[in-house]
Amino acid sequence: MLKKHPVFFLLALVLLSLISFIFALLTGSVSVPVQELFSLTGSPLSPFHYSLIFDLRLPRALAAFTAGGLLSLAGVLMQVLLRNPLADPYVLGVSGGAALAALLSMLAGLSSTWLTGSAFLGALISIVLVFSFAHARGSWTISRLLLTGIILASGWGALISFVLVIAPAERIHGMLFWLMGDLSYNRPVLPAFIILLLGLAGSLLISRQLNILLWGDLQAGSLGVDTRKLRNIIFFLSSLLTAGAISLAGSIGFVGLVIPHLVRLLSGTDHRLLIPASVLTGGSLLVIADTLARTVLAPQQLPVGVLTALIGVPLFLYLLRRSQ
Amino acid sequence: MASDSANTLMLDSLSLSIGGKPVCRQLNMTFKPGEFWGVMGINGVGKSTLLQCLTGLRQADQGQIILNNQSLSSYKPVERARKMGLMLQEYEYNFPCTVMEAALIGRHPFVDPLQWENSRDRDIAHQALKQLGLEHLSERFISTLSGGEKRRLNLATLLTQNPDYYLLDEPVNHLDIKAQLDILSLLQSRFTAAEHKTHCGIMVIHDPNLAWRYCDHILLLDNGQCTFGKTHEVLTTENLSRLYQCKVKKISDQQHTLFIATP
Repeated sequence: MLKKHPVFFLLALVLLSLISFIFALLTGSVSVPVQELFSLTGSPLSPFHYSLIFDLRLPRALAAFTAGGLLSLAGVLMQVLLRNPLADPYVLGVSGGAALAALLSMLAGLSSTWLTGSAFLGALISIVLVFSFAHARGSWTISRLLLTGIILASGWGALISFVLVIAPAERIHGMLFWLMGDLSYNRPVLPAFIILLLGLAGSLLISRQLNILLWGDLQAGSLGVDTRKLRNIIFFLSSLLTAGAISLAGSIGFVGLVIPHLVRLLSGTDHRLLIPASVLTGGSLLVIADTLARTVLAPQQLPVGVLTALIGVPLFLYLLRRSQ
Repeated sequence: MASDSANTLMLDSLSLSIGGKPVCRQLNMTFKPGEFWGVMGINGVGKSTLLQCLTGLRQADQGQIILNNQSLSSYKPVERARKMGLMLQEYEYNFPCTVMEAALIGRHPFVDPLQWENSRDRDIAHQALKQLGLEHLSERFISTLSGGEKRRLNLATLLTQNPDYYLLDEPVNHLDIKAQLDILSLLQSRFTAAEHKTHCGIMVIHDPNLAWRYCDHILLLDNGQCTFGKTHEVLTTENLSRLYQCKVKKISDQQHTLFIATP
């Protein structure tokens, strides 16, 4: 089984990631032959193709990979935190806070850098609200945390609808794209990529404790895990990762829910393997999905979130059916 | 440096309550390696709460727990987990996991944070599964196990952890009568019948007949009133009748003693 050969499994996923990047770089309204990309014909890339690949397609593929990795990792962590395989990164309302802040800055006509910053800020505000309300009386239970998150999320949802209603017609299109998750804007990738690397390193350090925490607070505590501290670390790590993903790409759905499931079917639940495997799988699948999103109906671009949902919904229903 | 207090677990005027109801008040008592304790009391009296407190997972209202001359709360979580282990009444686990993986988590306190379990850890887990007759299931997913098999797996995890103090919350519920005897004999051989008396068992149990047969000490919890001592002194019909608020009779022949509750 794959579990016995974790190195080969991870190498296969690295290969998948490379293939997804090559696919993204070569595909589009102008297709570049694969021989030219690797300069196999002896001649270097033409300046036009060079600019197409390195100025447009590569940054976008990197953004897609980063967003996919962030969401998958956040999903894995959130499923541990809530001890529920059906949790996703948005379940505690982080995306709602980010979306409201982003829409408000679009309403005010701010530039895309401001938009990214305010989305991140909105996510952080939402995180702090959930954390302090769930902690209000000291005891922190899963159902209390979940309830707080869901209530806040529906509050954000109402405010988002309100902004959409009062927004001028010409801004609505951009707002809807943002809400569905979209990578067509040129947003700074580097900060999100750094968050991904830090989050990955941080989660790998606590990965064996994550395995134990799935057995519940009492069992984990009796095996020497400081559950209170660990829960706080997981909460802030997964929230930060989600905030990074949303500021980069809007609320892309289903990646954070489906990818951990999919990878768990192949690798098992051991987080020392599940975590890096989910990042690689989520990253490459989102690169492929985004490439399809910009080419399937070209010249019309689809928000990538629509495509992930279209792929994710039937896939998830299938997995759910199989697991019963 | 073996002294009388080596590795003993002392309750120093311990007061504990649950939901405003006292579990014990100003309780002073000592557990020693080589003893097998039965903890009894009616439902909801706080037996599980007491076990959690002894594991260090719940704060006492007053007083303290002293393990090997040192306050239990001053131990680091991992050090504590090498001394105190808990088998819960129930587990809820929603993810795919094999029997071997589940047993192996018992090694968590012994493996360095960034290390993987090595072949020695696997051997220990394998031995524990074998002792409980689960070795042929080691690659099965735990979701496919029966209630009794799950119960034995929970104990295998605790045997893999092999702490000095085994805190057992109804370890034999869900088990058939033969399996109950097997498990309790296994535990007894680890505590009282062992060559080196290094481990102690503290077990919540409802059946006075099993307690009589296997435990050498008994602690009765009765809404804050605690009675404890040697089994034959504490497990009397008067004490049991008072504890359970019903008439308990004792029937004995040369070999066996049987407690029967009558309405």
